[in-house]
Amino acid sequence: MTTKIDRRNFLKVLGLGGAGAALAGCDMPSYATMEEGEEQVFSYLAPEEYMVPGIGIWYASTCLQCAAGCGVHGRVREGRALKLEGNPDTAVNKGKLCQMGQAALQTHYNPDRITKPRIGGKEATWPEALAYIKANASGAPVWLTGSIGGHQAVMLDTHLSASGGGKHYAVETVNAQAWQAACADTLGDAHPELHIDKASSVLSFGADFLGTWISPVKFMTDYGEFRGAPRGVLTVVEPAMTLSGANADHWVAARPGSQAAVALGVAHMLATEYAVSTSALPAGAVDAIVAMTPERVSELSGVDAKTLSKIADTLMSNHPSLVIGDGGYETAAAAMTLNLMLGNIGATITPGVELIPADLGVRGGSTKALADFASDAQAGRIGTVFITGTNPVFTAPGGLMMKDALAKIDLKVAVALFEDETTQMCDVVLPLASPLEDWGTHVPPSGAGRGEIHVQQPLMEKLHPDVLGLGDILLGLSQDAGADGLADFDDYYAYLRTAISAMIGTDLETAWQAVLQAGKVQAPAADRVFAANGALTTNVPETNAPTAGQLSLITTARQGLFDGRHANLPWLQEAPDQISKAVWDSWAEIHPATAAGLGLKDGDYVTITSDNGAITTRVFLYKGVHPDAIAVPMGRGHTHYGRYATGIGVNPLSLLDGTADGRTGEFTNTTSVRVQATGDNRHLVRLMDVDRQYGRKLAATISADQHRRNQGGA
Amino acid sequence: MSPDRPKRRPFPWIRTIMAVGVVGALIVLGGQMLEQERVGGESPVTEAGPRVPNAVFPTETFVGKDVPQPINYSHKLHAGDLGINCLYCHTYARRSMVAGIPPTAKCMGCHTIVSTADEKPEIEKLTVMWESGQSPAWNKVNDMPDFVHFSHERHLQKFLFDNPDMNVEDSREVCAMCHGDMVEVGVAKKMRPLTMGFCNTCHENNDGPADCTRCHK
Repeated sequence: MTTKIDRRNFLKVLGLGGAGAALAGCDMPSYATMEEGEEQVFSYLAPEEYMVPGIGIWYASTCLQCAAGCGVHGRVREGRALKLEGNPDTAVNKGKLCQMGQAALQTHYNPDRITKPRIGGKEATWPEALAYIKANASGAPVWLTGSIGGHQAVMLDTHLSASGGGKHYAVETVNAQAWQAACADTLGDAHPELHIDKASSVLSFGADFLGTWISPVKFMTDYGEFRGAPRGVLTVVEPAMTLSGANADHWVAARPGSQAAVALGVAHMLATEYAVSTSALPAGAVDAIVAMTPERVSELSGVDAKTLSKIADTLMSNHPSLVIGDGGYETAAAAMTLNLMLGNIGATITPGVELIPADLGVRGGSTKALADFASDAQAGRIGTVFITGTNPVFTAPGGLMMKDALAKIDLKVAVALFEDETTQMCDVVLPLASPLEDWGTHVPPSGAGRGEIHVQQPLMEKLHPDVLGLGDILLGLSQDAGADGLADFDDYYAYLRTAISAMIGTDLETAWQAVLQAGKVQAPAADRVFAANGALTTNVPETNAPTAGQLSLITTARQGLFDGRHANLPWLQEAPDQISKAVWDSWAEIHPATAAGLGLKDGDYVTITSDNGAITTRVFLYKGVHPDAIAVPMGRGHTHYGRYATGIGVNPLSLLDGTADGRTGEFTNTTSVRVQATGDNRHLVRLMDVDRQYGRKLAATISADQHRRNQGGA
Repeated sequence: MSPDRPKRRPFPWIRTIMAVGVVGALIVLGGQMLEQERVGGESPVTEAGPRVPNAVFPTETFVGKDVPQPINYSHKLHAGDLGINCLYCHTYARRSMVAGIPPTAKCMGCHTIVSTADEKPEIEKLTVMWESGQSPAWNKVNDMPDFVHFSHERHLQKFLFDNPDMNVEDSREVCAMCHGDMVEVGVAKKMRPLTMGFCNTCHENNDGPADCTRCHK
């Protein structure tokens, strides 16, 4: 027989033991976290008067997380950059900064940064690396970069012309080339200024101006004013919902590739129902509009006449309006047609400025440049390439065979912050200083500030002594190549200071300090004038309607991981996606009706197969995507990009063919895919796991119908 | 089981466990009280000299470890015998959250003239570092956890600058509230526990704020 530990005895024991433990822990100081002599503290040697430990000083600089070139203020304490905020004195971002900008600190302090030059994967010294480049260079070098402007671009041109006149390929996966081409054709100005704040209604055909398009932070502040009283009305037509679409009063799902048809259909409605004159349009455009009857639109895009008429009505009753479009030249051109008809030119679209000297202007990246680079490399026309600010192996469509193309180049030099899929293929890797350690000037592509150039200055000493700024590397290479007029400059800082002093007409120290303090300098600039008669080619668009049994894959860009460059920043991996709220993984958005047809439910793994490969990821059932489409955000799926990005999610860009738009040569970001369930199912981790509030009224809502009835909304 | 075998008394599990529990609790409590004794939590303050007027001076003390430093800087000599004000060297204390270690330039301001490298070996160490542009790697003696926000500036403001009966010349007494009398120890040593209990007691006695987020922000 044994003593039974019944409930009563168990509680006695527990009670006494617990009381003992509680007594033992009661009011006794714990010194566990109070260390003595464990940490070190370094004093200053001879600090400036204004340096006080514990008190931050803000320095002005420029954000390089995307091509928008926002001005930032960085808080520096005890020699360390701790926080970034927008510079309130800039016209682009007016003191605001997006999440990608905030995460620039993680780019800077990232443990995966390259700290020393490497030759063939082995660490080397700078002289060794430069000697290797010199010994192995073959032919005139070319540069493959992201969007680049300001004095770095001037220096890059100097290097190219001094070393044999090689080409410069500026690559940007998320760009506005189609829109800019349409603007150039219509107005003779590829970079007009857009005034969302002055519009009463905005109609966007797939241009995610709040998320990734041209200058999101600028457009967000403008959008804030647009939404102030009287409230502007936003209509968005796109195949898969973006951040802009999610903010729209009226969101219309169009079949992938058919936004142009919808835009011309709206123009048709305006001309027929509202008698809007088409006299401002070129003849070809009028024919296209006449041909685009509501029946034809419905056939191409799945958007019915009632919806078209509602969009037209919104535009007519909220004047002035602004119509923007991207994702294909036809779409952008059709959007521009609407602007011409509605008289928005000169009201919400005004001429931009031309910088003097013009070579400071931004070289906006394109995907055409990537295709050109690939074909030049395949054809053996490139012997030496310097790559910086872009990761072509990751972002190139699978159909481009970028790895094969790169392999054909004799000498590949990467100037990079991180090891990635491209540096892995490079012979020499030069360690780049982070944007918070470097000097530079940047021209905002939005044209805001009319000639305002943002100055980038280091916020702190280099974290790693062997890294070098892009300007310094370009200067060194140019001097080495025997470029004229650069012999006097010890470093890029000296060059930049001389150049800016010439621009402002004084080399006084106080004037230079004032430029640094403001973080910007006004460059001489001339207002452009719109051409009177633009030659707009508005073709009847082709839709990318998928073949039977297939879906159109849409690779969407998101503010956050962007084109994949920010996948190694944990803050941005952790920040929930704007649409699905998912974190740290990829997913495929699919319409519930389509999913039902395929027998899929939330969290089912599917293999998405195109002619260029296959990816396997989970589906996320969502009504904000056209039933003919499956949308996979780009950015994840790195195979070699540091500890935070490698092996996380899938890369949909690898499935694209790289078919190019006829007018601009830009890739269309859709392709037909087959979707097949693998049989696995796992819960997609999302911040907001359910779309319901379970009656708790966390956010008060009324139905759209109610809103229309009660508030007179759109 | 055979019937003639004597019936064994069941082992008294419950009593045993309770006894072990009581003994264990006594050992833990006793140990902690001894510890308390060792750090002198209950011992009365013996420090002499003027205390801070209009304030309740903390009584709890702590016997810190000897922390080796790259240079054997003596607080006893500088602040005690020579009577240099704490705020002369720790000049950031009145302006910032942290008191800061004085910049080497400040040390050299005196030591290029008095007690130079030729005379004193410790000063020679300092001079060598100064000339090679190196900062001494001091070992932190008083270290707050990262989740505690303590501002030297705020405390000096209350007890020294806003205190009508205090002179700036006597700043040492205000510093001593949390640091003990540094002139007694020479090379810096931790002399107050600087625990949350210590902070709270002083906040209660001196009408300091009691909301959690004032320190844990």
